[in-house]
Amino acid sequence: MQMQEDQSSQRAITRLCIQCGLFLLQHGAESALVEELSTRLGLALGMDSVESSISSNAIVLTTIKDGQCLTSTRKNSDRGINMHVVTEVQHIVIMTEHKLLDARDVEKRFAQVKPLRYPRWLVTVMVGLSCACFCRLNNGGWDGAFITFCASSVAMYVRLVLVNRHMHPQINFCITAFVATTVSGLMLTLPVFIHTPTVAMAASVLLLVPGFPLINAVADMFKGHINTGLARWAIASLLTLATCIGVVMAMTLWGLRGWM
Amino acid sequence: MDVIWFLLALIQDMLLAAIPAVGFAMVFNVPHRALPWCALLGAIGHGTRFAMVYWGFNIEWSTFVASMLVGSIGIHWSRWYLAHPKVFTVAAVIPMFPGISAYTAMISAVKIGHLGYSEELMILLLTNFLKASSIVGALSIGLSIPGLWIYRKRPRV
Repeated sequence: MQMQEDQSSQRAITRLCIQCGLFLLQHGAESALVEELSTRLGLALGMDSVESSISSNAIVLTTIKDGQCLTSTRKNSDRGINMHVVTEVQHIVIMTEHKLLDARDVEKRFAQVKPLRYPRWLVTVMVGLSCACFCRLNNGGWDGAFITFCASSVAMYVRLVLVNRHMHPQINFCITAFVATTVSGLMLTLPVFIHTPTVAMAASVLLLVPGFPLINAVADMFKGHINTGLARWAIASLLTLATCIGVVMAMTLWGLRGWM
Repeated sequence: MDVIWFLLALIQDMLLAAIPAVGFAMVFNVPHRALPWCALLGAIGHGTRFAMVYWGFNIEWSTFVASMLVGSIGIHWSRWYLAHPKVFTVAAVIPMFPGISAYTAMISAVKIGHLGYSEELMILLLTNFLKASSIVGALSIGLSIPGLWIYRKRPRV
């Protein structure tokens, strides 16, 4: 009787640990953090040890208590980078470590985690401004920054609409790059902007740089998670390639002057 | 006169770097309480790199030092914000990201496939690819080193 109770509580804790790991992996945390936080949650809830194996599209996790092992596997689907979820999960783990939450509270808290989304117009305007600043930082001049602002705001809006419709990421990046290059390249052919540096065209696609996956990739490989690191690097390269195909398509279609 | 010119350029550089840090922090859905700190860290990081490049260091080493600085400050702040430092340090180093080099390298590769081999395109491809990947490496390892070095085994937060 006692044994069965122990087992069902261990099963519940295993489920919580893997849910914690899955949350972090889906929302773009690096592998070292996924492993660290799921282990800390398990130890705080009374397990003897927690072992996990992380790959880019699944996570396997085992908890050990009094010699009894329980293993569970979950498929991972990428939900986009969301640091808000990562912070929430970390707060839950810290509160559990300080004995402020027990297993049932953790379950309740996990059910309440809702990914934060900033309003679409705000992100669009801020990303437009960001790309304009990149243009200025790369000696594009203020007129170049204006072109970049227009092009990348339109492109960011297109990107967010496509994300909302669950478009395949590579196709999404290709279309967005096409739109950005079309707008900036056609604006550069206007007589007003005849002397504007062409770096404005390059800066308008900078909103598509996969910065987070690339930084995570190197950090993962540096900390010994070679397989997830390589997977992230491959994903980031594919996204960059898709972006470049979009840019080249727009340049050949409209016969634009290049930016190299 | 030179000092004043340098300071003005530095301030402009820091202001221009703060906006992309916030913009990309929004794309990464950083909690709104952390957004001002992202902006400040982005300005500090890019300003450090600007100053070091001005004093004659090459861009890879300047990037490395700047991202180590961002990483160390991020660890300090993460203690009282109770969040992993990566939550705001990654957004803060995005202004230093070698986006244009990465695209130039990839577009040269696409063009070599399209138009056939030429020496110019190959030179563009190689130099830009090496520059982009070494800067990405410098950024990422620079961010990780303070955490591995100062807090070797115990959890940071």
